[in-house]
Amino acid sequence: MSEDIILPSATSLSKLTIHDTSKTGFGYNPAIGPISNSITSETSSILINKRTITLSSAPSIYERNITNKKPVEINLSSLSFLFCEIVNWTHGQSRGIHDLEMKLNKLGYSIGQRYLELIKLRDGIKLNKRDLKIIDILHFIHGSFWKSIFGKHANELEKSQDVPNEYMIIENMPLLAKFINIPKDYADLNCGAFVAGIIEGALDSAGFYVNVTAHSVPMDGFPLRTVFLMKFDQSCLIRESIH
Amino acid sequence: MLYSILILNKAGGLIYQNEVNPGLNKLSTNDYLVLAGSLHGIHAIGAQLAPNIGDKTVPASVEEFNRNQNSSIMSTFKAQSPNTNRSGLQNIETSLFNLYIFQTVTGLKFMLITAPNPAEHKGELNKQYDMAHELFRQLYMLYSDFVMKDPFYSLDMPIKNPLFDTKVRELVN
Amino acid sequence: MSRKAVGDDIWKNNVEKINSELFTLTYGSVVAQLCRDFNNNYHEVNNQLDKMGYNIGLRLIEEFLAKTGVRRCQTFKETSEVISKLGFKIFLNIQPTIENWSADGKSCSLILPEPNPLTEFVELPITADDKIAKELWYSQILCGVLRGALQMVQLDCDVQFVKDVLRGDDRTELRLKLNKILKDEVPAGED
Repeated sequence: MSEDIILPSATSLSKLTIHDTSKTGFGYNPAIGPISNSITSETSSILINKRTITLSSAPSIYERNITNKKPVEINLSSLSFLFCEIVNWTHGQSRGIHDLEMKLNKLGYSIGQRYLELIKLRDGIKLNKRDLKIIDILHFIHGSFWKSIFGKHANELEKSQDVPNEYMIIENMPLLAKFINIPKDYADLNCGAFVAGIIEGALDSAGFYVNVTAHSVPMDGFPLRTVFLMKFDQSCLIRESIH
Repeated sequence: MLYSILILNKAGGLIYQNEVNPGLNKLSTNDYLVLAGSLHGIHAIGAQLAPNIGDKTVPASVEEFNRNQNSSIMSTFKAQSPNTNRSGLQNIETSLFNLYIFQTVTGLKFMLITAPNPAEHKGELNKQYDMAHELFRQLYMLYSDFVMKDPFYSLDMPIKNPLFDTKVRELVN
Repeated sequence: MSRKAVGDDIWKNNVEKINSELFTLTYGSVVAQLCRDFNNNYHEVNNQLDKMGYNIGLRLIEEFLAKTGVRRCQTFKETSEVISKLGFKIFLNIQPTIENWSADGKSCSLILPEPNPLTEFVELPITADDKIAKELWYSQILCGVLRGALQMVQLDCDVQFVKDVLRGDDRTELRLKLNKILKDEVPAGED
């Protein structure tokens, strides 16, 4: 590269002479030596009269404590009303049930990415280790991840006996589906696609590439019971077999 | 014994009807709509006819009553009844059934049809009305949970929602 | 069956509570998606958020009335107090302060505490797009909610943000203005 990476006060250091002074009145002049840094009446008056803009007035969000902040409680209804409107709006934008689920998944995805970081950050470096096995990360998702988001662990974690890359997280009482009645002509729709997106975002960010879908599998006493089906990318299985 | 629950929208249209216990003769859908519309009309006319109905024991004006109730809720954070039906038709007593009408600030009406009072309690309609109050409040909360938070429900339209039906049945039985 | 009787504490007994963070991130995801949908046309984003809020307000008012038992207010001053002390408290667990009353008593400001459940974790990406801090009202959905809810109790109002800490303002301020009371639509039988 021919350009100077750091612009010196003169075009080139070798051209500096003892008579050169920097334009601003400041700066170390190697041709003069340490004396160029001394404070004179001229330089101090420049300092005092310099017009500045404050860059640090408002406290930035980075100054807030994120790791041991006291949890703030709000009304579940606020989330339910927001989610109701999200489904309503997404519904109006989509071409069919599958498209609607894809859009809900996408909205959840970015939440999963962020929540993973947040929870891992709060766990702290000392207690934290990177999960390398599918089963370890799934225990985390089913356990403390779920608890941070929904206030409880998910009900079950299962592995498919037939398909090696399929796992399931089962939630008997999905929080967001609590008030939603799926009309008959939308029989296949499960708004849990949003939560599936959260799981997918978190797992992808943790390096476990996966596809997650939500399916209604009602049981006695649990009409809204939802199975989150996770299909891991083959690369995860190959990695697993090497370790 | 509660026979039937009706919910009317602001315009007097019937949006929900649930026979929670058998006992009443079945009406056709159209008859239910007429019943709802008629009661809605009578309720409103009643309010003009006798502006002091239901006000006998409360000396304070409505404005003062409302203000007191609001400030009490704000200072104590304790829930009060959401019924605002003061001067409209509140109840009907017949020898075969009783009917109670509640109304919200937004203009929704909840109507409850019950078995008649036993002979020894005839003429205690106001007392019965107060007892039906709590049921109305619970129904209103179920409505705000399972109807209002359902993205597939359009406002003011008939409520066809098995989940809500289930919750209503759980409440009354 | 849960029996929640009249006289119970509304916040303690009648509100199912969750950690606010899922709400915060969900709202953030919606705003971000709208910015993408509308190609960073933030006026459109504001409009859409307002519309969504309005739809929510039309519905949310029923829960508010059912759970509190609040009656029709006699003055707009009373309305504003109910909104701040009960409405914001029950749904977002914050209580904005009310200031800046106009002389005619028909408009006032609500000052939202910061951070609140909508803006926690949020910073506008001004380095990527500097017009965002001049155009986007991040919490605009609240304006729609208030407008919708108030309309359901026959109050025609304008609601808008005038300041937002996220834009670099000193505080987050929402202006509430009563246009008129829709007297003809007040249900019969209340008085």
